[in-house]
Amino acid sequence: MKLTPQDQALAERMAPGVLSRDGFLGRDHRPVSEIVATDATAVEALGVTHAEIAAALAEARDTAIEAFGAPAEVRGLKATCIEARGRIVCPWGGCGGFDKGEIVLTGPDGETLAFTPLSVHLIARHGFYQGRGSRYRIEPGKACRMLGLGGEKGG
Amino acid sequence: MLEVVLIASGVVVAVSGGLSILLLVAERYLANYGECRIDINRGERDFTVKGGETLLMSLKNEGIFVPSACGGRGTCAYCKVTILEGGGVVAPTELPLLTDQEVRDNVRISCQCKVRNDLKISLPEALLSVQEYRGVVERIRDLTHDIKEVRIRLVEPDAIEFTPGQYIQLEAPPYEGSKESVFRAYSISSPPDDAGHIELIIRLVPDGICTTWVFEHLAEGDEVTFTGPFGEFRLSGTDAEMFWIAGGSGMAPFWSLVRHMKAHGPQRKTTYFFGAVARRDMFLLDELRALEKELNWFRFVPALSSPAEGDDWDGETGLITEVVDRGVGGGEGKEGYLCGSPGMIDAAIKALNAKGITEERIFFDKFA
Repeated sequence: MKLTPQDQALAERMAPGVLSRDGFLGRDHRPVSEIVATDATAVEALGVTHAEIAAALAEARDTAIEAFGAPAEVRGLKATCIEARGRIVCPWGGCGGFDKGEIVLTGPDGETLAFTPLSVHLIARHGFYQGRGSRYRIEPGKACRMLGLGGEKGG
Repeated sequence: MLEVVLIASGVVVAVSGGLSILLLVAERYLANYGECRIDINRGERDFTVKGGETLLMSLKNEGIFVPSACGGRGTCAYCKVTILEGGGVVAPTELPLLTDQEVRDNVRISCQCKVRNDLKISLPEALLSVQEYRGVVERIRDLTHDIKEVRIRLVEPDAIEFTPGQYIQLEAPPYEGSKESVFRAYSISSPPDDAGHIELIIRLVPDGICTTWVFEHLAEGDEVTFTGPFGEFRLSGTDAEMFWIAGGSGMAPFWSLVRHMKAHGPQRKTTYFFGAVARRDMFLLDELRALEKELNWFRFVPALSSPAEGDDWDGETGLITEVVDRGVGGGEGKEGYLCGSPGMIDAAIKALNAKGITEERIFFDKFA
């Protein structure tokens, strides 16, 4: 597929070493629009919305941040936050800056889900869960299962 | 029908792409803006530059270092400059990084704004004394599992003047996985008396470009470049009792400050609350406890929010804000100094407000 200049610029901003060390696309060579479209279909099939997933992640983020790095309990998960100096901007631009750092959710069975404050925005605003193999790729099904959302509730 | 639409879309993409490339080539090779004069702070400094460069780079070439983290790629929005005259139209690449108020106030992203004619700009006075330094890494030591102290011997210039609380911008050069230089801000943790060196306390940022370079590539003996000093976080001129609150690498300015105060005063009554999760996240404990014994005006209160099994910790426990709540009596007339994550700072401000310390008496260096 031929990329528009805007799509090309977006992919360049998501490359490793531009906004973050590992970038946003991992080993995924699909255009960003295709990644977004595929995940949108998956989210719809789960019976949830991007907004609901982002809201649950935001709740976990805020709970973790309030604990200043100590483990906190949210939605039956252990949430820990590493806050870091500096801010990172959204690769789409025009959305402002987001605190750096990382939130890790750990389930009772040891399953983990890592995301950043920027991840929450990328899902809520752009429906972007990052490319496959990306450090902070969020599989919608896994997120719903761990956060107890949609058809995966209670799973 | 679908075929026609696809062909038409392809033609539009190809034509717009071609025109964009043509404009970039023309801008790069054909545009000649001649010499342009840049006036700073209405005559305080002025010089002539060759037009066509970005404002950030033009200033850097004249030894004026505006803070920038992304190396001029228009992503960090740190290099804001007010252009009083001659700025022209705000570029599309600047708009996403500016608020509406900033656009109205003629604030511009200096790395995205080219010098095409004479400019009159306004810069904070302190930026005019910022310099670029070259140094050699003399020592790297682990303070915790994810925090390192980096000691740099200055080479050119061979000494730096700064006020405790100020920061520098360290340049991380390109390395595997990072194609261009980036710059990151770190508070100086050494005291100003050691003018031939600076020390930095650096915590590994997950997915961070600069800290990954520090942790995985930087070695003793390596040359490094930084600019500075920057920042307004410093002691007020009063003699009010102080509460310092920090966590993680937020230790840096206070580690500089307490040793500076020991050598030169002022001997203001100070309580330093330092929070960590577990014992493995705590550092400089022995050094600060030794200072507490030596200095009758200084009290050190380390606290763990979630001690691990086997930590053998008999100090304060709980969130640092809870420890502050227990440890601070009335706060009226006293001052708060904070350095750490935005979440910690916001919570600490609330805790100090609740003790009667008003916002104008709270000074902070947020990790932002």
